[in-house]
Amino acid sequence: MNKQLPLKRIALALLVCAGAVLPAQANVTDNDIQNDQATTDDIVSYGMGLRAQRYSPLSAINKDTIEEIRPVWAFSLGGEKQRGQESQPMVKDGVMYVTGSYSRVWAIDAMTGEELWQYEARLPDGIMPCCDVINRGVALYDNLVIFGTLDAKLVALDKDTGKTVWKKKVEDYKAGYSITAAPIIIDGMVITGNSGGEFGVVGKVYAFDAKTGKQIWVRPTVEGHMGYMWKDGKKTENGISGGGAGKTWPADLWKTGGAATWLGGTYDADTGLLFFGTGNPSPWNSHLRPGDNYFSSSRLAINPKTGKIVWHFQTTPHDGWDFDGVNELISFDYEEAGKTVKAAATADRNGFFYVLNREDGDFIRGFPFVDKLTWAKGLDENGRPLYIDETRPGNPSLSDDGKKGAQVVARPAFLGGKNWMPMAYSPDTGLFYVPSNEWEMDIWNETTSYKKGAAYLGAGFTIKSVNEDFIGVLRAIDPKTGKEVWRYNNYAPLWGGVMTTGGGLVWTGNPEGYLMAFDDKTGEMVYKFQTGSGIVGSPVTWEMEGEQYVSVLSGWGGAVPLWGGEVAKRVKHLNQGGTVWTFKLPKRYEQVAKN
Amino acid sequence: MTCLRTFYFIPFILLSFLSLSVLSTNVLARSFDDIIESKKINIAVYNDYPPYSYMEAGSAKGIDVDIAKEIAAKFNVELVLTWMTPGETTEDDFRNFLWKGHIIHKVKADLMMRAPYDRSFSQKRDDIGLLANELVHMFAPYHQESWQIIHNTEQLPEVETMAMFQYHTIGAEIDSIPHFYLTSAFGGRLREKTTQYASNELAIDAMKKGEVDAVMGLRTQISYLSQFLDNTKFKLASNAFPLIGKQKWDLGIAAKNDYRTLAYEVGDVITDMVQTGKMADIFSQYHATYEVPDYYAVE
Repeated sequence: MNKQLPLKRIALALLVCAGAVLPAQANVTDNDIQNDQATTDDIVSYGMGLRAQRYSPLSAINKDTIEEIRPVWAFSLGGEKQRGQESQPMVKDGVMYVTGSYSRVWAIDAMTGEELWQYEARLPDGIMPCCDVINRGVALYDNLVIFGTLDAKLVALDKDTGKTVWKKKVEDYKAGYSITAAPIIIDGMVITGNSGGEFGVVGKVYAFDAKTGKQIWVRPTVEGHMGYMWKDGKKTENGISGGGAGKTWPADLWKTGGAATWLGGTYDADTGLLFFGTGNPSPWNSHLRPGDNYFSSSRLAINPKTGKIVWHFQTTPHDGWDFDGVNELISFDYEEAGKTVKAAATADRNGFFYVLNREDGDFIRGFPFVDKLTWAKGLDENGRPLYIDETRPGNPSLSDDGKKGAQVVARPAFLGGKNWMPMAYSPDTGLFYVPSNEWEMDIWNETTSYKKGAAYLGAGFTIKSVNEDFIGVLRAIDPKTGKEVWRYNNYAPLWGGVMTTGGGLVWTGNPEGYLMAFDDKTGEMVYKFQTGSGIVGSPVTWEMEGEQYVSVLSGWGGAVPLWGGEVAKRVKHLNQGGTVWTFKLPKRYEQVAKN
Repeated sequence: MTCLRTFYFIPFILLSFLSLSVLSTNVLARSFDDIIESKKINIAVYNDYPPYSYMEAGSAKGIDVDIAKEIAAKFNVELVLTWMTPGETTEDDFRNFLWKGHIIHKVKADLMMRAPYDRSFSQKRDDIGLLANELVHMFAPYHQESWQIIHNTEQLPEVETMAMFQYHTIGAEIDSIPHFYLTSAFGGRLREKTTQYASNELAIDAMKKGEVDAVMGLRTQISYLSQFLDNTKFKLASNAFPLIGKQKWDLGIAAKNDYRTLAYEVGDVITDMVQTGKMADIFSQYHATYEVPDYYAVE
């Protein structure tokens, strides 16, 4: 820090400002967002394109040049609030917008790494987020930077000043709701899901006017709940999800059915459909709620114009293992027998990879993408799992005072074959690059448990690794054959997003702190860089003044370190952090001249 | 664009100094000596949880609040209350309010009310064989808790056995043992007659409106809430709860494991309150059923 007096600094800064020529800054349009994947000079959607393929055609950084890349700037999020940094940066007109732990947002000069502004949401003392105080990113629209907060609000900030333009309470945090996912923008609407624990929340998808924050529609994701639409400020009924209550739920458990939409959604312009995944049903004990429990652990296609469910595909009917169905559904096309198949794929927590027809939700094929599954023998012709009943966690044995109930071993563990961390799809190779984990869990009914001074019957569980030398596996998967084309084993569990590029590279980070790049065809690691803390964010790439840049957030945290046991031993030495790292190839000769 | 940065510079530094000095007296769980010296004790109670701890007309009320007041008075220190939003289990509350500090405001309390006093719980081992709650000491049981049904006698004159709820509707708080019990015990035969509510208060409201014939919940809460009902119409039942593992359990106080002197001093205050009948008086002020923990019955 230099020792100039603050006043003098301000005076100087004012002079600099007065003379500065600001770059032409256009507002973000629907068109920019719809074309995001094709345009390399900006990143204006979560997933680097609304389909969330996380593919960029940029190829300056490729298998041959990558060893030359180097960091050009690093930006510390600062403060004591160093928790999991699961954000994906956005870039528009030379400005990067990132979110950090504790519902914070920064605008950073993408060329120099200098801070332009910071926004810190004032969080109420009473919030109790289930799984670390993370945020996954912003949405950009018009002159606004929009993001969800841990106390379940949407906040829209002015992109130039960071000042609040509008703020909207989506749900009451006191009832257990929060928001951690990045919202998406479709036709001037900002669309978001919700998060919540076992407090009887109901999953919903919400649409608001992106410019004003006025509500447009809400669609509950549990059978039996009424959806609503707002026209000229008037709230009108818009049909009951699933047509009526009590079809797939006993008694009135549908009223508090869970199925939170905590990871947000994707969009496909071809079919005009939004795809949202839903969490596990509540309560956690499956024996209390015989039935399929619609639409928990499912993928839902929603028409954004009407706010209605067009189709659903349930990955784990009557879930008993906490296999949330929230993982992203990525639209892609492929050729088969001379025809283009409009498909969409998802890698579920439950260990199966599904390829669906994205027009109607029909099951095309499914296969395990993990090394071993213990809870199902396979999938039937409609994609429904063939359960192995002995591995379903038991009915609570209420007479069993103070003792563990019967213990079952289930694989994958409840954190999933793949968790929230987004995979990528390369149209060049036709492969999906899936960040996954190999682990299992012991699960039993825990009778020695308490909640608010009341005796309680929780689920006890232990997550265990199954291999000495790895938990994480980055896999290249062929969606047409189900074949694993290559894999990279990682000692700690993988918890960060993946990106793939026209340069033939697959990028991701690991908890050990490395940003890594792999050959997209062979899986050979062609680059790694130590960022100083674990990576649980999603890398991005874009082009500025003719040069390709790559950015990723480093900062260890998220759900993994919250669970004890064997897995914790592999990660407990990892240090926290909060840094945006940005890389590019050197401009070789200019570099020499400057020196 | 550097101008914005510079403007933020000054207030930010000022602010960080300010917040440090404000918080520094409260952020740590402390030893007995430190508490006496600072003339303040910080006790954590659950937020919005009548009759244990709640706000009414701007002042803190409840059984746990009254006990906390008594502890502070005996030590001759000022009482500072930390209001807890509960986590999914008590272990979360220990972490957030005793040993690690709250995720947002970082405050740690010296004592936490309503901790279980249960040897199998305090000695519980985690998945790698270590004591799961080794950072916390649980002591000074002050009452025994149980389950209770209250019923509308016009709809259901007597609760002879739980079998009645194959035919009569009953409400319970979501994700509680009564909720699990009613929806899973006896082969699920009571499930269709069970309705879940966000709290016992809302379940009782529903019973008042005739939505359900009965409510099952924590005995202290149900007995407290029964005072606001017409007692000729609504009665506390005395049926048994077959198949429930934990019929009764003791509740006490928790502190960070390092502060045993504090625990002994607080233990003496509680023993005195139980033995002089002061504890029973507090419960009766809230119209709540009181039962002395087994710990004192031995003497």
